Amino acid sequence: MDSLQAEVRALEAEIAALRRACEEPRTPEEDASRALKSLQEIQQSDSGAWASSKDLKGHLGHLESELLFLSTLTGINIRSYSMRTEDLTSTEKTEQSIKKVLQKHRLSGNCHMVTFQLEFQILEIQSKERLSSVITDLNIIMEPTEYSELSDFVSRAEDRRDLLMFFQSLHFFVEWCEYRQRTFEHFKEKYPEAVRLPEGAVSSCMAVRSPREPGFELIIVWRIQIDDGGKVLPKLDLLTKAPRRALQLDETRVLETAPRGFRALLGVLGIEAALESLVKSLGVGEDH
Amino acid sequence: TAGTLNLGLGVLAHLERLETQTNRSRKNLDPQTETAESALEAKIHKLRCLRDKLRAEVKERQARVKASTASVEPDQTLEVNEQEAVEGKQENMKAILQAYRFTGLSGKLTSRGVCVCISTAFEGNLLGSYFVDLVIQKPLRIHHHSIPVFIPLEEISAKYLQTNIQHFLFCLCEHLNAYAGRKYQADQLQSDFAGFLAGPLRRNSLCNLLSFTYKVEPHGQSFPFCARLLYKDLTTTLPTDVTITYQGTDALSTSWEEQRVCHENLFLTKPLHQVFTSFTRKGEKLDMSLVS
Repeated sequence: MDSLQAEVRALEAEIAALRRACEEPRTPEEDASRALKSLQEIQQSDSGAWASSKDLKGHLGHLESELLFLSTLTGINIRSYSMRTEDLTSTEKTEQSIKKVLQKHRLSGNCHMVTFQLEFQILEIQSKERLSSVITDLNIIMEPTEYSELSDFVSRAEDRRDLLMFFQSLHFFVEWCEYRQRTFEHFKEKYPEAVRLPEGAVSSCMAVRSPREPGFELIIVWRIQIDDGGKVLPKLDLLTKAPRRALQLDETRVLETAPRGFRALLGVLGIEAALESLVKSLGVGEDH
Repeated sequence: TAGTLNLGLGVLAHLERLETQTNRSRKNLDPQTETAESALEAKIHKLRCLRDKLRAEVKERQARVKASTASVEPDQTLEVNEQEAVEGKQENMKAILQAYRFTGLSGKLTSRGVCVCISTAFEGNLLGSYFVDLVIQKPLRIHHHSIPVFIPLEEISAKYLQTNIQHFLFCLCEHLNAYAGRKYQADQLQSDFAGFLAGPLRRNSLCNLLSFTYKVEPHGQSFPFCARLLYKDLTTTLPTDVTITYQGTDALSTSWEEQRVCHENLFLTKPLHQVFTSFTRKGEKLDMSLVS
């Protein structure tokens, strides 16, 4: 009897151990950041790579994982990079143990649909007390050039030789552009007759018209500006179009004060809700 | 697999119920020992079946993993060209990883998570870098870091670390870059323009509160101005509050007052060391006018 019970216990223990070995890796709970999510996926699939890191192809996979993580985190995808150095140390400087090296860097990549090519120079001066590294020249070529808001920003970054600001502001600028595009497309889809995007997919404005009163049009202009410090700010404004007769009848000056009202609405409701209420205010969607 | 496991669990539960029943019936009826034994034997048989099923499953799993890693294992008969191509790709990727420091954020994966390196710069001057070693767990935590103690790391972590790691790192990067920029300005003032200052530049470790006594003419004898710069916004490199007081021995005249106001404006809008560079240039201009 006892031996039978012992065997039962042994079997149960082995089954428990086997069940643990069969366990699926726990899937991560939904995470607000895409970067972290991709990292967790990488970690799980890469667990084999830690054991065999010496092996060439495994190492490549590991590097690919690191690159994927960084490009997701920064929003910048660097596709190629090279550097060469030029020793500028003169014999006079060597005596004072001052070393001068000029680095020439070439970097290209993209931030979503915007591609860039950078060429910059860094002067490194090593003296007894300290090492200084200064960007002495910066050249940026960007494509596409349709984003007029970007060209001023790029010249400023070049003048200031501010690489960091260039990358970070570019990332936020592109994120805002994509958000603007998604929002406009959402409204176009939801109210196809009333909403018009005059400049197409990358429009910076959205026109809303009531199907019953074609003379009235509200035009929402959404610009994305980069200020002097590199901060990216959305700027929304409202333009109104109405038949002259309507303007004459507008005693309470509703149309004139509409832009100010819209700005206040933005502050209270945020962009999407403000746009939604604006569209609804034209009586759009009431006939559905 | 889930089905198999559920089946296994169901079987086990059933067997446990059987066992309880068997135990109960055993207590009551002794002659039933034989039935109890056969019940146990039945249970053992069922458990053995379940165990064999699970063993097969584990073997299958291991075979699958082996197959996928086999493609990653180095093939001894790899062509030299292919090897070189892979090595070239590896070098290229390593270089790109290095280049990420120019974006402000770079890093490497670790066995626990990721170690992020934050680089700082000010006006084209590449300054120090700091690291944050993160452990990817629930909750996310910082294993260790090199962030100076006067940067509000706890505050920033509390706000963003668990919900948005990207935001957490960008915010930290902003704070560190601003600190590095302020420190750079203060250091420059102290080293390159010491002649304009009466005594040392007084500052706190965060470099967001500075005070100093200064003059504008390089050859002047007295130091007529006293400045206090406060940087309330820890994400900027320009002060939010500037107070200049005139403490010269001359009677207070409109020209001194004009200068005082002008200086306040200068310190608010230009980096510290650049303000003093402009003082130097003005001084040089004055000298030139004296010569002609």
